[in-house]
Amino acid sequence: MEKYEKLEKVGEGTYGKVYKAKDKATGQLVALKKTRLEMDEEGIPPTALREISLLQMLSNSLYIVRLLCVEQIDKNGKPLLYLVFEYLDTDLKKFVDSHRKGPNPRPLPPSLIQSFLYQLCKGVAHCHSHGVLHRDLKPQNLLVDKEKGILKIADLGLGRAFTVPIKSYTHEIVTLWYRAPEVLLGSTHYSTAVDMWSVGCIFAEMVRRQALFPGDSEFQQLLHIFRLLGTPTEKQWPGVSSLRDWHVYPKWEPQNLASAVPALGPDGVDLLTKMLQYDPADRISAKAALDHPYFDSLDKSQF
Amino acid sequence: MEFDLENPLTGCGEHHFDAVSALFASESDHLPSFLAFKSTDVRFCLRRHSLSLISQTQSACKFDPYMAYLAVNYIDRFLSEQVVTENRPWIVRILVIASLSLAAKMTNFNLSLSDIQRDVGIIFDAQSIPRMESLILTTLEWRLRSITPFSFLHFCMSLFQLGDSSLTQPLKRRASDIIFSTQYEIKLFEYKPSIIAASALLCAADELMPLQFSSFLAAISACQYLTKEELMNALAVVREMLIEGRESTVDSESCSTLPPKSILDCECTTSECEKPTNLDGDSIKRRKLNDFRDDQTFRISHIQRC
Repeated sequence: MEKYEKLEKVGEGTYGKVYKAKDKATGQLVALKKTRLEMDEEGIPPTALREISLLQMLSNSLYIVRLLCVEQIDKNGKPLLYLVFEYLDTDLKKFVDSHRKGPNPRPLPPSLIQSFLYQLCKGVAHCHSHGVLHRDLKPQNLLVDKEKGILKIADLGLGRAFTVPIKSYTHEIVTLWYRAPEVLLGSTHYSTAVDMWSVGCIFAEMVRRQALFPGDSEFQQLLHIFRLLGTPTEKQWPGVSSLRDWHVYPKWEPQNLASAVPALGPDGVDLLTKMLQYDPADRISAKAALDHPYFDSLDKSQF
Repeated sequence: MEFDLENPLTGCGEHHFDAVSALFASESDHLPSFLAFKSTDVRFCLRRHSLSLISQTQSACKFDPYMAYLAVNYIDRFLSEQVVTENRPWIVRILVIASLSLAAKMTNFNLSLSDIQRDVGIIFDAQSIPRMESLILTTLEWRLRSITPFSFLHFCMSLFQLGDSSLTQPLKRRASDIIFSTQYEIKLFEYKPSIIAASALLCAADELMPLQFSSFLAAISACQYLTKEELMNALAVVREMLIEGRESTVDSESCSTLPPKSILDCECTTSECEKPTNLDGDSIKRRKLNDFRDDQTFRISHIQRC
């Protein structure tokens, strides 16, 4: 790894430590992700091969963090894999936090929310068109270039080869705030709609500058959702009461979603409503979201 | 999650409508670029020998033809990117074994490396094959989900209005057989996978349901993603290939510097086998010097047995 100069640890990703580093030859900043994959006498494990080649295939989109290369190094005789990604200076969580706290609290400009959401939908549509679900979309996984107003999806697709992210590398509980109700209720067949739920939560969070459903357990998470959107019924969501983890919940009436995002106009509320549909089959797709009237005022030629 | 050549993009085994445009958009990323080479380039011979060795191993080990096809795709792309100036039997062998190993891992085929080495007639030391795999991976930039003509079969067949659904499978089988053969036809290098898929399917249709050929041709020519001129040219080449029965041989005119016999007939001399050999020296030079890394430099310390 002499090719790179490690500058600082920028995070504990779900799958391992992430370092900001500089390519000594070109001066390019990169994010180095050490994986815990070890190669044996059979060479690279098949699952890792499939996952990394999938990641490589997806990273040809502008809205996905680019995998620049994969480095294989020998550490104490054991080969280790490092994934080298392009480096972006911040993530959406830090970006939203900086607008809530700090010396100059202020809302995110509506045009920036619109642009970020559009880029997010572009990236999600790209993953979905390649048959890949992200499964863990959250503001920390969305990297932002503040100067250029660019947003890119990170931490993609490694869920299977790099172990299931129930607990992260540092044993920090993986956040539930963006998790779709069907996942929380133990559905075994989930689809692209799980990502669109997360996109809805992230959209609302950009407007509110705080999380829409900040639950601290799976049960609490469901209650947060039900209190705002009403307890789902069989009529609304056929099959809900047969899901594995369904229990009898208090029957809340749906609240007005617009009151949770007061700064958002009617088109935005309509799009958010479509993203937060209970029945996954009714939830808007990323591709359809791109054509929603909320984006009519956006200059799409730049994307 | 295993890689399916007919469905390279989706991990879930479904054909998404959106996936079609994604396929066409990225098919050119997986093309070998032999056309730029001089006809005397030693890589043509390496390729020919590799294909011959794969075909021989395939009949001995009975592995999936799709896996073999994928391995050849890796070999083609590897040889397109690496400057190889030496033609030695062991280079062909390690390239074939490592490519087969990668293709087996991608397609979830249980391939025994020791069986393959036995069939290929050479046993490399434990580190050599993983290192060759690494070299191939780096050269291919880990883009192992190759988009091949098989990726377009489903889409191209959907353009045909097949009245009788019992014809679907025979048509697809015959088209697949033709696609397997096209790997041997150097004249088809310049065509994109989608064009080869469409041509193979049209040839299969012409054999199985000649009366419907013209309506199929009209339907495929009308497709927005395919250029009619290219399609007609490729179709002519595939037809010629089928007529001449050149389904399993390679044009060998470019290999005049080498003995005409197959690599499998080559006898390794003892001195050649025992001599430590470097792959990082003159035999394989990397095109991109940036990729050069000391700790990754590929080296075969010794070849144990020929």
